[in-house]
Amino acid sequence: MKHLARILLTAAALTAAACMKYDYGLPPGMGYGDLTEAAGDGLFIVNEGNFMYGNATLSFYDPAARTVQNEVFYRANGMKLGDVAQSMTIHGDLGWIAVNNSHVVFAIDLRTFREVGRITGFTSPRYIHFVSDSKAYVTQIWDPHIYIIDPQRYEITGSIECPDMTAETASTEQMVQIGHYVYVNCWSYQNRLLKIDTRTDTVVAELEVGIQPTSLAADRNGKLWTVTDGGYEGSPYGYEAPALYRIDPETFTVEQTFRFRLGDAPSEIQIDGTGSTLYWINGDIWRMDVEDDRLPVRPFIESRGTIYYGLTVDPATSDVYVADAIDYVQNGIIYRYDAAGQPVDSFYAGITPGAFCWK
Amino acid sequence: MRHPLRTLLLTTAALLSAAAAAQETERTAYTVDIEHVEVSAARPMKQIGVQRTHLDSAVLHDNISMSLADALTFNSTAFIKQYGRATLSTASFRGTSPSHTQVTWNGMKINSPMLGMTDFSMIPSYFIDDATLLHGTSSVNVTGGGLGGAIVLSTAPARQQGFGMQYIQGAGSFSTFDEYLRLTYGSSRWQVSTRAVYSSSPNDFRYVNRDKKENIYDDDHNIIGQYYPVERNRNGAFRDLHLLQEAYYNTGRGDRLGLTAWYVNSRRGIPLLSVSYADDDYENLQREHTFRGVVSWDHVRTKYKIEAKAGYVNSWLAYDYSRDLGNGVMARMIRSRSRVNTIYGHIGGEYYAGRKWLLTADLTAHQQFVVSSDRNVITQQGGSAVVGYDKARMELSAYVSAKWRPTERLGISAALREEIYGHDASPVIPAAFVDYLVSRRGQVVLKASVSRNYRFPTLNDLYFLPGGNPDLRKEHGISYDGGVEAAAGDGERFSINGSATAFDSYIDDWIIWLPNAKGYWTPKNIKRVHAYGVELKGSLRWRISGRWNLGLDGNFAWTPSINQGDKISDADRSVGKQLVYVPEYSSSVTGRLACGPWRLVYRWCYYSERYTMSSNDNTITGYLTPYFMSDLSLERLIPLRWADTSVKVQINNLFNEEYRSVLSHPMPRMNFEVFLDIRPKWGKNKAAE
Repeated sequence: MKHLARILLTAAALTAAACMKYDYGLPPGMGYGDLTEAAGDGLFIVNEGNFMYGNATLSFYDPAARTVQNEVFYRANGMKLGDVAQSMTIHGDLGWIAVNNSHVVFAIDLRTFREVGRITGFTSPRYIHFVSDSKAYVTQIWDPHIYIIDPQRYEITGSIECPDMTAETASTEQMVQIGHYVYVNCWSYQNRLLKIDTRTDTVVAELEVGIQPTSLAADRNGKLWTVTDGGYEGSPYGYEAPALYRIDPETFTVEQTFRFRLGDAPSEIQIDGTGSTLYWINGDIWRMDVEDDRLPVRPFIESRGTIYYGLTVDPATSDVYVADAIDYVQNGIIYRYDAAGQPVDSFYAGITPGAFCWK
Repeated sequence: MRHPLRTLLLTTAALLSAAAAAQETERTAYTVDIEHVEVSAARPMKQIGVQRTHLDSAVLHDNISMSLADALTFNSTAFIKQYGRATLSTASFRGTSPSHTQVTWNGMKINSPMLGMTDFSMIPSYFIDDATLLHGTSSVNVTGGGLGGAIVLSTAPARQQGFGMQYIQGAGSFSTFDEYLRLTYGSSRWQVSTRAVYSSSPNDFRYVNRDKKENIYDDDHNIIGQYYPVERNRNGAFRDLHLLQEAYYNTGRGDRLGLTAWYVNSRRGIPLLSVSYADDDYENLQREHTFRGVVSWDHVRTKYKIEAKAGYVNSWLAYDYSRDLGNGVMARMIRSRSRVNTIYGHIGGEYYAGRKWLLTADLTAHQQFVVSSDRNVITQQGGSAVVGYDKARMELSAYVSAKWRPTERLGISAALREEIYGHDASPVIPAAFVDYLVSRRGQVVLKASVSRNYRFPTLNDLYFLPGGNPDLRKEHGISYDGGVEAAAGDGERFSINGSATAFDSYIDDWIIWLPNAKGYWTPKNIKRVHAYGVELKGSLRWRISGRWNLGLDGNFAWTPSINQGDKISDADRSVGKQLVYVPEYSSSVTGRLACGPWRLVYRWCYYSERYTMSSNDNTITGYLTPYFMSDLSLERLIPLRWADTSVKVQINNLFNEEYRSVLSHPMPRMNFEVFLDIRPKWGKNKAAE
């Protein structure tokens, strides 16, 4: 046994010498770096990351200085943002980030990026809409409820039941408020918009549009716009030519339908700061005046041979920002164009940049 | 520890120092698999030019808590990607992907026809009696599609006389229990065996979660402090039952009949991510019921052999993602079900034309039937519908080869394989192998081989809804390797052997899944990959004295696997970079020392950094450190009058490392398991004592 012990000790000493030094999460030569506070206006980019990798990140771009800071949440807080960050909404001095597969909403200080609070208990949060300082709605997938939160107490205070959805088919997405009503598009294996009375927190009306409305916007005339993706070939839910819809929110009826070709995949409907020009992705980047009565025939910005993943329009300058996730396993790139469609800047953000939020 | 040279030196140092330390020892004998030492001038014709790693039962039956994934991790150059016990564990060779590793069990392919890969955590290593890894080109001799290689698994007769029984009980950290029972009966004609393994654990190990912080608030909800919480691994409980029935009959006149039937009943939680803030009311559950059966007939004569096999697989797989609504009712968010039926047939023959020629041919068929349902939806009309597919595919593979050894020193082998999947046929797959005995002293043999190969898309690649792409092309590759191996020793007390192999392969039309414009993922033939590198293997067996025995096995692999495809867009920075989750360097060492009734086994492995981004960027969020892992076990054999028994203590993660194998998946720190092994002496066994 003496010999055995000696062998054991020798082996242990050798292996211990080879033991890894644990610098958890910090690559060689990389610290948290100097994180510049966001003093002025800017653009937050929510990078989804890869499902089940937990590598969602937050970037901040200063349009004036044309500088970007990546991984600002991690660098400010020393922890990960989570798995599949879906969207960010600003209310007052705080930014609220819905992290879908982490089941959490973080509130951060917009200047320091530091967490100021969090709300947990969600099934799968997607988007946040503030009804007031003390009430906000959080849409979800896999849950036929829109959660009501109290952002001042960081609590879920209730829920709005969405009709005709099971957990397996539930999907509520983006929200737009006009007057006392919040409108919601229902996307995955759905074909509806919901109208919610913010005074009673109940769904008061539904409107059927085409298959899978992806996004929602309101224009200067107080009209709602949504665009469907039409589903996919072979889907038991149906497959059709997608369409852009103009909807009168008061009567909650479709006023006009602009039909795309079968197989097109329009998404990410956005409106500029004046509420007069719509933008969307359909292979290329397209735009249309809200008064037009037909779809444009030429794109605003042609595709660079890639599939664009995100889109936003600067509410002040109408500069257009387009996100390219490239192969979805490297940092995506953001292209910035001016209102005339001329390239202004480009910069790499995080993995799968999918949503934007203007500060 | 990032420098490969240092890894190699440390590996060598560990080998040498352990050997040196052992040399100082003396005492009497306890055999440590010295009988497995192969120091022989005979080079089987079937293995001309073949690059293989053989795992014998000593390695495979080391510990009942081990899956085949663990055995491969510590005993081969294959890269095993896993994130803890009872989690999806895949194997890849030479910088390729897990679906480029073809796996057979008693001749029947067991890769999932839906996913293309094999989950090695679902294979208890105690159920496999022989495992051979065929690297790269060498896989063509058993199957097509092994662009990285193939793993050939088989069971074998226990070769015992009379009744035998073995029972092992294991109990370990995190309330983990492993039980193994084997009953055998053997006669001059019959060998019958029944094996059962049952493993269960809440698997709720504690770890410091450095991906999250807990906040400390004051009365006004201001954060006044933060800390990394100590959490438990959540939702990682598992319960696996495996039953294996074997019966072999040997006519004694050159005919052997075999029947093997393997049943798996598995229920496993999929652990929550370290970044999950979910309450404990979620259930992420994977269940599997699989039956695999193979019957075989071997007809062996002096000059030829004919074999025929038939088999059947029935596999039911379920994945449920549910949330407890608080009243005991589970809201089911994902309810995925799939049923796989496979019918297998094989016929093959070998013919020795004189002493210099071996001719072989075989034909293998797998008829796949897959019904996959992934989602229940409410239609626009208010009815219900299922998103999924129901497809069948016949997979045929034919093989002929001629092996020629004109002199004792030279061996040449040429093989052709043709595969037809459904209506799609591969071009003829050629492969050529050569070996040459340079020196009898040291058994120095040079080997080289070259082949083309093709891998057909899986059924999910073709038909999954949404996204399945019926227009996919086959992946195709060309691979070369060459190397040298040598062996020395007296075959009794001491032997040492080693090999070094360099390989170079190109794979075109590599299939990857990418989101399309509609936002769902779809597979495309995108990548072109150049994978090359070096594999080193070494082993030593030393009967130091009558009492002391030492065995050492080491592996080292350098596997650059570079994306050489076209840029997806101008901004693409992945071209020229290492593939994600493929370590450039890996190494493993297993040492076995026996002294009288004591057995010590030390296992060590190393993986260099694995990139999580195709651009190989290092980010704080996406960084996986290189890691070493060490396991140690000490066993005491205790012979009793009525039974041979032993007690073993196993320490996993010996140095209590905090590490991640996969992003956001915690791994357990140091943990223990104790095993009690009982083999009653019945009948002839007892009489023999």
